[in-house]
Amino acid sequence: MRLGLVVDLDKCVGCNACAIACKQWNTSGTSGSLTDYNPYGADPSGVFFNRIRHYETGNYPENKTVHFPMSCMHCEEAACVTVCPTGASYKREEDGIVLVDPEKCMGCNYCAWACPYGARELDREEGVMKKCTLCVDRIYDEKLPKSERKPACVMTCPTSARYFGDFDDPNSEVSRVSSDRGGQDLFAELGYKPVNKYLSPRDKVQVNQHEIREPNLVTKVKDWVNKVVEL
Amino acid sequence: MATKQDKISFKKNATTSNTFEMPQFEDRDKQTQKHTTCYMCACRCGIKVTLENNKIRYIEGTPSHPVNKGVLCAKGNAGIMKQISPARLRQPLMRKPGSERGTSEFVPISWEDALDMLTERLQKIRETDPKKLAFFTGRDQMQALTGLWAQQFGTINWAAHGGFCSVNMASAGLYTTGFSFWEFGDPDWDKTKYFLLWGVAEDHASNPIKIGIGKLKERGAKFVSINPVRTGYQAVADEWVPIIPGTDAMLALSMVHVLLKNELFDWEFLVRYTNAHYLVVDTPRKKGDGLFYRNDDDIPQSWDLEKKCLVNAVDPKIKPALLGKYTAPDGTPLKTVFSIMIARYMDDEYSPEEASKICGVPAEQIEKIALEMAHVAFKETIEVDTEWTDWTGKKHDKFIGRPVSMHAMRGISAHSNGFQACRAIHFLQVLLGSVDCPGGHLAKPPYPKHIVPPIKPGKKVVPGQPLESFPLGFPTEPEDLCIDKDGNPLRIDKAYSWEAPIANHGLMHMAITNAVAGDPYEIDTMIFFMANMAWNSSMNTSKIREDLCAKNEDGEYKIPFLVVCDAFDSETVGYADLVIPDTTYLERYDTISILDRPISEPHAVCDSIRSPILKPDRDVRPWQTVLVELASRLKFPEFTTEDGGRKYKDYKDFIVNYEKAPGIGFLAGWRGKDGEKSLRGEPNQNQWEKYIENKSFFEYKLDDNLKYFRGVNKDYLEFAKKSGFVGSTKPIIIELYSEKLQKFKLAGQGLYDGPQPTKERDQFRLSRFFDPIPEHYIPLEHRCSFSSKFPFYAITQRPMFMYHSWDSQNAWLRQLQAHNYMHMNKKKGEELGIKDLSWVWVESNTGKIKVQVKLMEGCQTNTLWTWNAIGKQKGKWGLSDDANESTKGFLLNHLINEHLPCADTGSPVTNSDPITGQAAWYDLKVNIYPAGADEQFGVYPNFEAGQKVFGQPESKNVLRYNTKKPVRLSRSLKDIITKGGFKK
Amino acid sequence: MHPAFSVIFFTVVSGAGYALISLLSLFNFLNFGMLIDKNTFFIIAITSAVLFTMGLISSTFHLANPKNAWRAFMRFKTSWLAREGLLAILFYPILALYLYFIYIDMQINNFMLMQYYSFLIFTISTVIIYCTGMIYACLKTIPQWNTIWTPINYITIGFALAAMIFFFILNLNGYDTTSYENYTLSIIAFSLATKLTYYFVIRLPKYNIADATNAAVKLKSTNVRLLDVGHTGGTFLTDEFGYKVAERKLFRIKILSIFSGFIIPFFLIYIYSFIYENIALCSLAIFLSFIGMISERWLFFAQAKHVVNLYHGVENV
Repeated sequence: MRLGLVVDLDKCVGCNACAIACKQWNTSGTSGSLTDYNPYGADPSGVFFNRIRHYETGNYPENKTVHFPMSCMHCEEAACVTVCPTGASYKREEDGIVLVDPEKCMGCNYCAWACPYGARELDREEGVMKKCTLCVDRIYDEKLPKSERKPACVMTCPTSARYFGDFDDPNSEVSRVSSDRGGQDLFAELGYKPVNKYLSPRDKVQVNQHEIREPNLVTKVKDWVNKVVEL
Repeated sequence: MATKQDKISFKKNATTSNTFEMPQFEDRDKQTQKHTTCYMCACRCGIKVTLENNKIRYIEGTPSHPVNKGVLCAKGNAGIMKQISPARLRQPLMRKPGSERGTSEFVPISWEDALDMLTERLQKIRETDPKKLAFFTGRDQMQALTGLWAQQFGTINWAAHGGFCSVNMASAGLYTTGFSFWEFGDPDWDKTKYFLLWGVAEDHASNPIKIGIGKLKERGAKFVSINPVRTGYQAVADEWVPIIPGTDAMLALSMVHVLLKNELFDWEFLVRYTNAHYLVVDTPRKKGDGLFYRNDDDIPQSWDLEKKCLVNAVDPKIKPALLGKYTAPDGTPLKTVFSIMIARYMDDEYSPEEASKICGVPAEQIEKIALEMAHVAFKETIEVDTEWTDWTGKKHDKFIGRPVSMHAMRGISAHSNGFQACRAIHFLQVLLGSVDCPGGHLAKPPYPKHIVPPIKPGKKVVPGQPLESFPLGFPTEPEDLCIDKDGNPLRIDKAYSWEAPIANHGLMHMAITNAVAGDPYEIDTMIFFMANMAWNSSMNTSKIREDLCAKNEDGEYKIPFLVVCDAFDSETVGYADLVIPDTTYLERYDTISILDRPISEPHAVCDSIRSPILKPDRDVRPWQTVLVELASRLKFPEFTTEDGGRKYKDYKDFIVNYEKAPGIGFLAGWRGKDGEKSLRGEPNQNQWEKYIENKSFFEYKLDDNLKYFRGVNKDYLEFAKKSGFVGSTKPIIIELYSEKLQKFKLAGQGLYDGPQPTKERDQFRLSRFFDPIPEHYIPLEHRCSFSSKFPFYAITQRPMFMYHSWDSQNAWLRQLQAHNYMHMNKKKGEELGIKDLSWVWVESNTGKIKVQVKLMEGCQTNTLWTWNAIGKQKGKWGLSDDANESTKGFLLNHLINEHLPCADTGSPVTNSDPITGQAAWYDLKVNIYPAGADEQFGVYPNFEAGQKVFGQPESKNVLRYNTKKPVRLSRSLKDIITKGGFKK
Repeated sequence: MHPAFSVIFFTVVSGAGYALISLLSLFNFLNFGMLIDKNTFFIIAITSAVLFTMGLISSTFHLANPKNAWRAFMRFKTSWLAREGLLAILFYPILALYLYFIYIDMQINNFMLMQYYSFLIFTISTVIIYCTGMIYACLKTIPQWNTIWTPINYITIGFALAAMIFFFILNLNGYDTTSYENYTLSIIAFSLATKLTYYFVIRLPKYNIADATNAAVKLKSTNVRLLDVGHTGGTFLTDEFGYKVAERKLFRIKILSIFSGFIIPFFLIYIYSFIYENIALCSLAIFLSFIGMISERWLFFAQAKHVVNLYHGVENV
């Protein structure tokens, strides 16, 4: 299995639901708790596994805005796994999820240096690195209804811009949507083979309207004829 | 590759990860789940709350809930942090005797003492002059209860926040199609092919819009967004139309022009379902001009094309003319409504070329969008095969759908021309035939309602007696105004006066100013519920804060007694004389009622409840309970038995047993003795339990033949009448032409047989702005002579993860936005020498602020914008004194005047829409220029930190929230040492 | 990159320490272990051990969870840090045995063994420095580090410091270092050359914001800019990777590091060797060189731009 996410940038409206759902699920979950520093003071910050950044392209008025959620890509050749000296960072064979074992992590930050996507954050209170677990504590939980055995971010996304599944299964939703719309690797030239795929904004929807025009435009009221319409 | 999931087994404390053996991460036996309704904003999604060790483990959307269908936005997901917010008030408080109001110096007071104090004071007011109580509620969803309470008390001085929120949007729809946007109607997300979003940033309805956009994208429907700023939803629009703020009517009517010019409108729809064929008296400058021509039975007339004579416009079997000038038998010259429309909208004034100069949208684009909509409406029509009967008795075998839909909110509404602008948008919908049809703009039960619901605003204030009518209502003519015989306003907010005749939601934003000015009179007690009037929910914040503390010559406060009810330590709480602490939404019973702000879906009647998930850990009570308690103590008739005893034990009892009309109560589900009836039925004593059993919501799905064209759908009208939604089964004919507005216009012109304004200013406003068909006019503030000195428009929008001022207290959400910037078009900024992230002055005619600027591409050239309500007063909301919200965050409100800044009118008039009194927030014009080298840090103005409110806890430096010790997944040592490179 | 002093100290000091023992064992190998007395030998060996031990200890201060530090060598199969850790740990007993053999004059009894052993020590200690350099060089995410010139410079700079220390101790113990002056000066000059080559190699940015966000914009040439980073405070990422220094300050420190680390020590050693023999010149050279190398290492971190900065609005790295 090669589990991962597809993020549809054509639908993401930048609402941050996924980021907060992730925070909420994980703070009381297997990675918990996710520390917040200065939560009520100046420059509050905290450990988040999923962050949404916003970009603009082009120039006014042809500019476009893109909302860009980023979390761990669960790369096939994850640099963070390669560089981790203690073996705390690892990629599971059976499903490809990249995890941190907090009992082994020594908090050297090396994995964060190796990750181009900023997927890993140090929880200073615990001294260990934390990251997206692809909700490993949800997806195999048989006490959850099958439809809910998905990452929190996927469950909560209001525009359904996030998909979860097995990329090794050609019939899975992630495989289909990625092949239909051309799912892209982020920053592919670094060679880490991210499993998560991004769908670019679609081409603009065109509406054919030239055939709607009347050949002779009505200019004066008198040109119009009262149609008889029965109530 | 076969999945190995069938091999999953659970083992506690598994030590290897190279198998599927997982530890038991969640101990479900220790967890409970409860369903309730979210209240992080007014969307009111259904939520499932998982509790563990008496703390909230997780909040998620309820999958079967009609509003959110299992999804949840960032705010809903952050409910935990609201629940443990350090800003929660902990007990009732009283202003410390001898201290000044506004300093947050409080002493604790017991509930009994607080209630006794309040009862005594209210009793005195009620017995002498009930209107001395001004009771205004903010972002609550409880207006059916609070309005009833106010009516029973006998005060006309009640309203909720609609007047400064979106009354223009609501009223325009209610006076045109019988329903509007937001809680009244929705796009047909499942079938629409072309969607226009007007002036909507994050706004209601939050999650449904997101779900809908997701669906549009899947179907390849076109999404056009009209908004000066390209953030949020606008990012994923296929086409972004950066419009100049306040010119939407121009854009809409220019598109009307294009449709008319190309004869692209639904002729049949106009004839059958609107008043386009009604005959209007055409006697300019004479009495009766512009009113419908009515026969002796007072029925409007149309010209029958077959019979070639006048017929009753409301008769079923007529063949009326849409066009033409006719003469009545008595010689009165007449025109059809449609002729009036064509004469106006086909004029060059509304051509795309001319419109483009005003709204900033290129003429080709205006024409293109209009033609695209027409193409979708008429060439991509959809049909739903269902048999249905219209109001004339005619049977149809299908519903014809013109799949163009729209949604409009604050961007249209918050202007002094917003009512007409919103009407103009409805005109577009009507011409395209896309009202309540498949793929179009669908009503949500209990709407549509007749135009308008027969509720007149109450005005008879009698000591010790309830008002004769609900305090808010729907005026249809000058006789309905709440004015005295001299034409002066009766209400403290001057709603339903000549200043704001159709003020359906009141003018909360004027209450404080008028009370302090004693104009029209002084009041005794002011109660605010869930309304941050001393901060972001007021215009001219600095002045309002001074007003709240203003004193008479004898040293008494001009507002003698101020009661603030809130769950959190807001800026307004600091001004209270009595603080009534509310619970959070997870700690109380609540109703989201059809009588109030419904959560229906287009094809389902819905309502819902809240029930306590947690017990409050402090001495607070739900405001609803307090209201019922006060109502009982004050012996309101509806709350008192015949022998003078208490009718309702508590709020729950009231909700179950109160009946507005026979069989109609606050909750529509599980009525009848055994809960077997829906929508109407006797009280069911187990109603609350039934709701709780059913995930806290009730959904009544409409039969197929009741789903569309409901205003003219015979079976639906009968169903609606039976259910108490409407009072008659007469069809709801769309009022393109508003005779109601025309009556006010005539009054302004001095041509009305009834009350007329005496002040020249009011005469001008009524005769100029109360056009019976919409038009674009320049917003009022922009007419002021100083306006040319302020070339920029300044607007706000809500971020998707914060709801007004509620969420700076939220440890997770505020990390996303702890302070705001003034955004500006990059090219424009560079032209003016303004550097990105530098400090600038933004100045209006009313004041100036110093803020940090941010340059961006996606901003209309002459528009500035910022996020709403991010700035906070130092020390409030449980934040430390150095929090960004008070050092770098700012409000735009300081620049906005609650009065129209033109000084030459003599007495001040509200800075609002002249028709509805909607606060004209977005009319603001400003100038922007760099701050000096020594002014490069810190917002201006700055407000003193109040005292730390008594009993509020210290806020922590580090927060580590969880509900249990985490169960870890371990990697074995063997795996660490033996694992080679990557498995391919 | 946020320069952590513990790491800077670690790499400079341990680099010098390993290079010193490397130099010493190489010296032994080439001169058949004869030319310096045991005392001096041990002084140098102990100095180097103290240096690299201090360095290793210092590196643990950088850890947020040091109680797991003992695991740091477990993933030597893939991680350069683990390799460095493992070799560093194994080096202790290997070196200890070597020193014991020196102590008991093993070279007299078993000359070939000591030759091989010297070469082994030389190899391991040099490889350890190489591993240290590779910790940084293997990261594609930091273009300024991702070049062979990174470990080369770790080695040459380590050797430059070691050469000066070696030179200093020999002179302190009264040896005639006439023939070694040129070696010492050459090593310093060579290390300056590799350093300047490094600066040349990294002069151009490698990636831009469009590369990083390619999925969002189909055309890489489209003008991409950050609109909003999504949080108003900092985050772990901005704290760790968003370290910004003014260009002028960077330049000044660069000049300082080159002069203090290489040029002035070169001239001090030159003066000592050919003009004015005062041991203080040597110690001053070492002192200044350490300052220079620490500044150089600080620069190494401070001017390194992690690609994650592209997501935070930096135009190119």
